[in-house]
Amino acid sequence: MAILKINGEDKIFENSVPSTLKNLLESLKVDEATVVAEVNGQIIPRGNFQNTILRDGHKIELIRFVGGG
Amino acid sequence: MDTKSNLSDLSAADDMKDKLIIAGKEFSSRLFIGTGKYASNKIMAQSIEASGTQMVTVALRRVDIQNPQDNMLAAIDRKKYLLLPNTSGARNADEAVRLARLARAATEINWLKLEVTPDPYYLLPDPVETLKAAEILVKEGFVVLPYINADPVLAKKLQDIGTATVMPLASPIGSNQGLKTKAAIEIIIAQATVPVVIDAGLGMPSHAAEAMEMGADAVLINTAIATAGDPVKMAEAFKKAVQAGREAFEAGSSGVKNQADASSPLTGFLRD
Repeated sequence: MAILKINGEDKIFENSVPSTLKNLLESLKVDEATVVAEVNGQIIPRGNFQNTILRDGHKIELIRFVGGG
Repeated sequence: MDTKSNLSDLSAADDMKDKLIIAGKEFSSRLFIGTGKYASNKIMAQSIEASGTQMVTVALRRVDIQNPQDNMLAAIDRKKYLLLPNTSGARNADEAVRLARLARAATEINWLKLEVTPDPYYLLPDPVETLKAAEILVKEGFVVLPYINADPVLAKKLQDIGTATVMPLASPIGSNQGLKTKAAIEIIIAQATVPVVIDAGLGMPSHAAEAMEMGADAVLINTAIATAGDPVKMAEAFKKAVQAGREAFEAGSSGVKNQADASSPLTGFLRD
């Protein structure tokens, strides 16, 4: 069992966490072109999603634009 | 100088007068639009179009993992409209700086509406934290448009540290109360060295026109359009009001008098 904290909530994976940020977004069906991400408080440039290795216990923030004034 | 070159100088001056320039970027519309509270992305897009705006604000929030497809940005044509991400939700300078950096990573542009509102009931901006965040972000190369209370001292401090505009509120966000801070905004405009954008609380086109007649450089409208009975029609009404207010400011008021001043001649009456 492995855990990622995604947007403040624990997400449990049976065996291991997705190996990269890109794989995680695919598994969540999130279009990577629409999000900006932080891993353990570090901003990940969009081009680096594939190279960003995830490990058990990482904290992920997935953020996008919404309507606002 | 001959007459011809005089005329062309004049028309060049007229062109300049009518343009708003923020951080070197030229805007022909003086109406900025917020994208919150619209019933649908479609109505939002139509209202933006009808307003004639060239700049729209957006907010950053966590992706809803249960509904990951929702993407309002797809409804905004980024070739026509400059995105101005805001730092709404930030309660202090640290949170605002974090949101600013995320916004820059997301848009690859460095324009930012800085807002720091610690209290969710009145949503009034925190002057101390806003100034602190602005100092950091200006140094990091952001084009900072700070949302502030109508405080002339704060506005001056912000323009002095290099913000691109100042954006004083007319009345609390979303309240539609109009220009409650008029006297303070007059001082801010009088001492401004950067464009003054009136943000928050303008509820009707007449409020926007009044702000423009005072010499504000632009206004930012969200709630009054997004939650109107017909948002697209209201967007168009605001467009006209902002244009009318600006033209009146450029034309120059004839002034207010305490007594009547007859418009028709006071001679030649048909009586003995």
